[in-house]
Amino acid sequence: MIGLLVGVLTWLPAPAVAAEPLSVKVIVEPVHLETVLGGRFMITTEITNTGAAPSGEILAHLNVASIEGSVYVDPEDWSPNRSQQLSLEPGERQKLSWEIQAVNAGHFAAYVVVVPFGSNVAGNEALMISPLVDVDVASRSTLTAGGALPVVVMVPLLLGLAAAGVFFGARRRGSDR
Amino acid sequence: MTLQVAPPAVGTEQDRRTGTQLQSRWLVVAEQECRDLWTSGRGLILVFLFSVLLSGVTYLTSTNQALNFLEQRESVNLVLQFAVAVGVLATLVVSADGISGERERGTLETLLVTPVSRRSIIGGKLIAALSLWIATFLVSIPYVWVLARGVGILGRALALGFFVGTLVAVGLGSIGLLISAACNSNKTSITASIFLLLILFAPTQLPSGLPQGWFFDVLLRANPVASGLAYISSILVEGHSWPQDLALLITPLLTALIAGGALMFAGPRLVRLTRGVNAG
Repeated sequence: MIGLLVGVLTWLPAPAVAAEPLSVKVIVEPVHLETVLGGRFMITTEITNTGAAPSGEILAHLNVASIEGSVYVDPEDWSPNRSQQLSLEPGERQKLSWEIQAVNAGHFAAYVVVVPFGSNVAGNEALMISPLVDVDVASRSTLTAGGALPVVVMVPLLLGLAAAGVFFGARRRGSDR
Repeated sequence: MTLQVAPPAVGTEQDRRTGTQLQSRWLVVAEQECRDLWTSGRGLILVFLFSVLLSGVTYLTSTNQALNFLEQRESVNLVLQFAVAVGVLATLVVSADGISGERERGTLETLLVTPVSRRSIIGGKLIAALSLWIATFLVSIPYVWVLARGVGILGRALALGFFVGTLVAVGLGSIGLLISAACNSNKTSITASIFLLLILFAPTQLPSGLPQGWFFDVLLRANPVASGLAYISSILVEGHSWPQDLALLITPLLTALIAGGALMFAGPRLVRLTRGVNAG
């Protein structure tokens, strides 16, 4: 009987265990910034392992979203390197820098999400998300046709006249000899 | 080229002056070559075409909405890289005509009987070719000024363009003269030089979205043109300090030293009349 009971207990599937939430804290700075279209800026996140166990492999991933109007955002255009892998001992903290270029005008939010990384990720782990970085991008035409036009027209014109003068002068001198 | 050099003086004074005269004769050759290049109108026509191209690029950068999206520093970088690349191309084309052109026009024999060493001839021709690079750089100044004003990078952009461009121009100008000295036909020399330049420019045209592994990095660093242009970008666009990416200048520097050295040592043996070439 005891043998049967042990057999049944070992055969039964183990009850589902809720995945432990990631014990990390993410802070970000600056929390607000203003720039112009095409401007480059950098945000820094500090990730701290607040738990009592090592974090294991974790992945910090940057994302950008439009929070006003209907501006299409392709985060890859904003930053080519949006993922950074790390692992933290209990109490350890690490600073990560994110280089970003504003490729759309409007009002955006940039944020970093921390997810577990590796083949043993169950898929139901909780994520940790940084506070939003509020990004205001002003539309600005940095260059104007009117500003460039005098140089664009005058330089070739003057050089063309000089070249023609020298070229035909040289030919005339050649034919006179 | 018709070179007018005074015959060497006779007597003891000559002995003392010979060294100085030989040293200064490359300047005579350089002066004559520059006069040929610039008073014939050839140099000015090349510079005029260069300015037309640069005008097109600058206007496009200023007006095209897609390009105008670029940050102003990137516009400056784009125009400066274009100016350096085309300026170096013009230098290479002129130097590729240096010796093979003289052979083909039948003027090399006259040049070789003048009391000027072959090394002086080569040095003078290299300086004449580099004068075209200097001219294209001077022409590019107003374009860079139009794009860089207000961003505070005008001085840095010009100093960077001149420094990197001169380094690359010396290297490629020397290679062009070596090719020219080794070729009997001017067509072969110029075609080989342009083909070489296309090979060197190809890596700079790869789409930036392509995965850039170690092979791309090796390709970039082994190429004097691509690594020189990458150095300009790293300072102007990415805001790096001058010493930070100095390793990118190793290849342009080595090219200038090796090609320039080879030109000075092997050049005198290569500058000679060859069989089957019209000697006038």
